[in-house]
Amino acid sequence: MKNLFSLLCCVMVYCGATAQSLPNVRVENADGEVISTSSLTGSKPLIISYWSIACKPCLQELNAINDQLEEWREKADFDVVAVSIDDVRLRATAKARAAAMDWDFICLFDINQSLKRAMNVSQTPQSFVVDTAGNIVFSHSGYTPGSEQLLIDKVIEISKKE
Amino acid sequence: MKHLVLMIAGLCGIATANAQINLGKGYLSGSFETNTIYYLNDSKIGSEPTDHFGSNNYLKLDYTLGRFSAGIQADAYLPALLGYELGERPGANHFYLSSKYIQWADTNFEVLVGDIFDQFGNGLVFRSYEDRQLGINTGVEGIRGIYRFGNYVSVKGLYGRPRLYTKYADSWVRGANVNVSLTDIFAMDNVLLTLEGSYLNRHEALDKDAMRDFAALGLTGPDLNLYSGGINFNWKNLFFRGEYAGKGKDLPTAVAEKAVNGRAVLGEIGYSRKGLGVSGTFRMLDNMGTLISLYETGTGNVLNYLPAITRQYTYMLANLNPYQVNVEGELGGQIDVSYRLRNREDRYRYWIFHGNLSNFYTLRREQSQTGNRELLWLDMNFDVERQWNRKWKTTFLFSFQEWNPHHGFKHRTYVSNIFVADVTYKIDHKKSIRAELQYLLSDEYEGDWVAGLVEFGLAPHWSFYISDMYNKDLTKTNYYNGGFSYTKNRTRIQISYGRNRAGYICSGGVCRYSPAYTGCNIAITSSF
Repeated sequence: MKNLFSLLCCVMVYCGATAQSLPNVRVENADGEVISTSSLTGSKPLIISYWSIACKPCLQELNAINDQLEEWREKADFDVVAVSIDDVRLRATAKARAAAMDWDFICLFDINQSLKRAMNVSQTPQSFVVDTAGNIVFSHSGYTPGSEQLLIDKVIEISKKE
Repeated sequence: MKHLVLMIAGLCGIATANAQINLGKGYLSGSFETNTIYYLNDSKIGSEPTDHFGSNNYLKLDYTLGRFSAGIQADAYLPALLGYELGERPGANHFYLSSKYIQWADTNFEVLVGDIFDQFGNGLVFRSYEDRQLGINTGVEGIRGIYRFGNYVSVKGLYGRPRLYTKYADSWVRGANVNVSLTDIFAMDNVLLTLEGSYLNRHEALDKDAMRDFAALGLTGPDLNLYSGGINFNWKNLFFRGEYAGKGKDLPTAVAEKAVNGRAVLGEIGYSRKGLGVSGTFRMLDNMGTLISLYETGTGNVLNYLPAITRQYTYMLANLNPYQVNVEGELGGQIDVSYRLRNREDRYRYWIFHGNLSNFYTLRREQSQTGNRELLWLDMNFDVERQWNRKWKTTFLFSFQEWNPHHGFKHRTYVSNIFVADVTYKIDHKKSIRAELQYLLSDEYEGDWVAGLVEFGLAPHWSFYISDMYNKDLTKTNYYNGGFSYTKNRTRIQISYGRNRAGYICSGGVCRYSPAYTGCNIAITSSF
């Protein structure tokens, strides 16, 4: 156990030393087209949130964001990108569910989890804030009702700087 | 263990040194995950483990510099958690590099040398992937090239040997996938129409073990060929996807007694508009199971991806007896309908109605001793979610499940009726409480179950929960659990203690068996 903690500490030390950009990965959008994630950046900050049909807190988080979207957009201009990691088992269900939820989001479908792997997402829910230059400036793992406020706070902060 | 720490520290050091000396605009990213359990003796569930400690650990590092990227993943099982097949295999490694890669990705050209995670079409002929919950990693160590002729045609080819648990299999795969966009070729407006074709070859010598006579089972050579063709169509609110796959004579499971040809059909259709989503998935499997190696067994010894196409629940009792796919022969699918009704003046008031039907039968009459096609799985369920206002939300779910414990061989099914009530109350903008009450009503198998859960959230960092699941009729056993989690940005720590029922743990429709245990669990995930 002692060594395990040493290993963890080792990793933590390096966490602050680096910055990550949004990786350029090809994924499917809601129209079935394959797009490059690099095409999402440039004009507005992004909130990227990973979800799947079987992840209850993910759906809670996305619904909470959607409920507050109008209020948030009065404070900053941004897009929300919902990335489904459902594979062939529930891909069709995820696509239909995303439409039914009436989310005002850009919906992506990461069927073989290439984007998830490139962004080093171990577990869902996991959300990111990406600035207009494509830098990942904030990330949050897990969801408890109210923690979505961290995302909009960060978007407002970077919008003021930009 | 000392070597492990030194090695990982070294890797971090090298990677960070690169970042620090600023190789252009390169950056380092990575993730760390540990899932560690201290097992206790618990005579009530017959759990007396010989080794009281299990720990699965993963460290992944990626370095990206423009179009160039490289990475590694190190896995450490110290030892593997109970129920993980990779820890039970003779000669299993405890610490190893589970993946490494170097990649160059241009607009139209990509080449990757290392461990490949990819799939052809819908995975009917090939999928290599990692699922840590199941202990599966089937990444192919080799080379992959992709070339795109504008948006018109994309060609992908790969060659390598698949990972089989902690080592690589002694079989080789090579394959190609072609995707043609008719939308772009014929400049269609508002319609997406693509055609896809795949070919895969698995090569494995049949004379490696004198005890195995594959010729007697009907295998004539070391090569197996798989192929598929598919279509993807999207027009306004409608989408459709279909694929047919076939394969040559092969053993579809590790216990198959005869080599047979295999085939599969997958169809998806859907309609969606604002507030409404309808989807249907249909699949036929006929001996389409494909092993990475004919000499090996296990959940991870699979070259393609044939998950159970059924609803996946988030509630304990609804997931008690999950459906397991019958790769030898099954026919069925699922229909899913969601409808959202939102108050026009208040975004915080809405209804979500959701219904799902999934149903599977054996494909051939000879799969059953009755000579009939038998029911494998039926699940009719619906749930109603009501957001009353900013504070209150309620969900009610009902599921009728009927399943065949003999995988269709005998005419015998068990029926469960499951009821769930779920209430969330948001005390203020940071504090919330959620409670679940569940009941499973059944005259068969283990009889009735009751379960409850209470969760308290203190956003954005803390979450606490207690739960219990009790079998009222057969075992009269409580499966209690309690724990908390702390999250700070990208790091999450969860500590829990509880008793866990023996059963199938499923992820993405693939299941592994986990024995009953009682223990204290610490799970940490972090990424940067």
